[in-house]
Amino acid sequence: MDPDLDRGQGLNQSRFWNWFVAPGALWIGLLFAVPLFLVLALSFGHVDDFGRGVYGFEWSNYEAVFDSTYVPVLVRSVTYALITVILCLLIGYPVAYFIARFGGKYRYVLIAALVIPFFVNYLVRTYAWVALLADEGLVNNWLIDLSLTDAPIQMINTPYAVIGGLVYGYIIFMILPLYGSIERMDPSVIEAGKDLYGSPFRTFIHVTLPATQPGILAGCVLVFLPAVGDFVSAQLLGGPDTYMVGNLIQDQFFAASNWPFGSALTVVMMLFLAIWMIFYLRRATRGEADVL
Amino acid sequence: MSDLELNRRQLLAAGAGLALTAYGVSGCTVERPLDRSAAGDIVEPKIDGDLLIYNWAQYMDPQIQKDFAEEHGIRVTEVNFDNLEAMVTKLRAGGAYDLIFPSSEYVKRLKNEQLIRQFDRSKLPNAATLSPFYDNPWYDPDSEFSLPYAYYTTGIAYRTDQGLTMTESWNDLSNPDAEGRIFMLDDFQEGIGQANLINGFYLNTARTEELEVSKETLLMQKEGLRGFSTNSVQTLVSGSAAITQAWNGDVVNARNQVDDPSIFAYETCKEGVPVGTDAMSIPITAKSPGTALMFMDYLLKPSNAYRNVMWNGYPQPVAGGREAFAKLVKDDPSIDVNLEEIADSSMEFRLEDPEARQEWTRIWTEVKA
Repeated sequence: MDPDLDRGQGLNQSRFWNWFVAPGALWIGLLFAVPLFLVLALSFGHVDDFGRGVYGFEWSNYEAVFDSTYVPVLVRSVTYALITVILCLLIGYPVAYFIARFGGKYRYVLIAALVIPFFVNYLVRTYAWVALLADEGLVNNWLIDLSLTDAPIQMINTPYAVIGGLVYGYIIFMILPLYGSIERMDPSVIEAGKDLYGSPFRTFIHVTLPATQPGILAGCVLVFLPAVGDFVSAQLLGGPDTYMVGNLIQDQFFAASNWPFGSALTVVMMLFLAIWMIFYLRRATRGEADVL
Repeated sequence: MSDLELNRRQLLAAGAGLALTAYGVSGCTVERPLDRSAAGDIVEPKIDGDLLIYNWAQYMDPQIQKDFAEEHGIRVTEVNFDNLEAMVTKLRAGGAYDLIFPSSEYVKRLKNEQLIRQFDRSKLPNAATLSPFYDNPWYDPDSEFSLPYAYYTTGIAYRTDQGLTMTESWNDLSNPDAEGRIFMLDDFQEGIGQANLINGFYLNTARTEELEVSKETLLMQKEGLRGFSTNSVQTLVSGSAAITQAWNGDVVNARNQVDDPSIFAYETCKEGVPVGTDAMSIPITAKSPGTALMFMDYLLKPSNAYRNVMWNGYPQPVAGGREAFAKLVKDDPSIDVNLEEIADSSMEFRLEDPEARQEWTRIWTEVKA
């Protein structure tokens, strides 16, 4: 067959197949780009006498975002999210490692067992923690019955509970990418490390960890992004000093009826998260290049 | 280079296009304008379709809805909101609910915004036994756009089994006996309102210097709080709250959920008792306004008011509802509501000036942050 003819057909074919992008592009355009643009436009607006958002051209909402009152909220959200990422990594790595290396034929059953609880709505799962950890909840009642404590221990309405809720809510996003990259790793490189008289610890640091770095990076980003904007955990498990930026934004859209300020907060959050995302994408592509 | 990649000129053009669009929409409100053509028509009480109710959760005995549905051969569906601002947002966006339950202040706002419909209450036989105060309430002169559903006071609920010294004052929200186990309602008006009362200001004050003082009071109270929550039943029953700012009906509900109801008591405060009314209205977007009006009358029927109050714990200002509530609170008169207090509208939340409203929400956000 004439190779040129073949190439021509391929080109025509690819033009034809290009049309299949249209539904997806339309979807993204209408349901992602347009709303995003409206949020951006509204963030320069103000509120009318009925409390409705009105589009406009003013910076006042952005000035308010960086008002000294709200900076602690932003800092708190990022801190909680970072602690969540670290805890998810510390808990998730051994779990993923165990399943990937030693799960054998039960690997998929174990992964399914981890994933299935996440089919239940996040809000409902968080309410379950309220019932478990309340002062007269199940856990405190057991502790008192077993005489481990006299008075109930305050577990909910604390920063620990909020971070616990975030870890519980998002740990699956850490375990799955870690599992993927540990499973893909060639076990013989670990044996090679040991053959070269590396202790288990040194082998882990110098062989396993670098080999699974893409999974670690993906897991960290996937946990950090939703955790920093979360409002459910702080609302249900938090106390008076655990207000996160997600709560702030939610309150602006409902209780306080200030959509323009809520939009400005959203835009600032998105820009901040986009920086992380770009950092991650650059690292990830470089990582792939290294492998190749 | 592929066709899809943008060059700099195209990018600039796109940017200019976006800027132009932004300029075009500048000054527009977020929502599209609603069809308000029905605003002038008076709703007639007749069955004209299935009923979609939009209400607070756990605020109406579902059996009443089932009975009404059966009686008229229609379907009745209830969906819930958890704050009024969210409810208004949905209405403005065109949500086709048939019956809503705004507070008195919101009735006035919705009426001003032409979001609710007018009806003739004389055509509703069961409205005749409503308390006379509601013939001509401040928020809806001649009661043409709303009928009262329930009324309530705001006070403080507390545990009687923890040796707390209570003082019948809003200062109990910073009671040292219960430090770290106190909740405040997550509601900007209730929160700032009680601080205003502590400081001896008018409940709905719009004076900036007074609001600043109340903000300091709130920040001081926040130190001893365990959280902000409107779910008082849950914080009380789960044992997390020793003291919580609460609506009186929720105390009745909390008592119903424990073995020994006497562990929860309710006090009203000497600095002032905020009172409120939740009303029923028919949105402009209603598909079955006639059915909604029929159902409003059905809710006011003495036998229905009686079982509804026994179910939700909030008094209704109508024959049957009053008797049921008196029965519920016969051991604890503090939970009862004096309708004269409602007539004194200085103890009702009403922020009619939009700037004052924004000032209040800003202060509340700063307190919570």
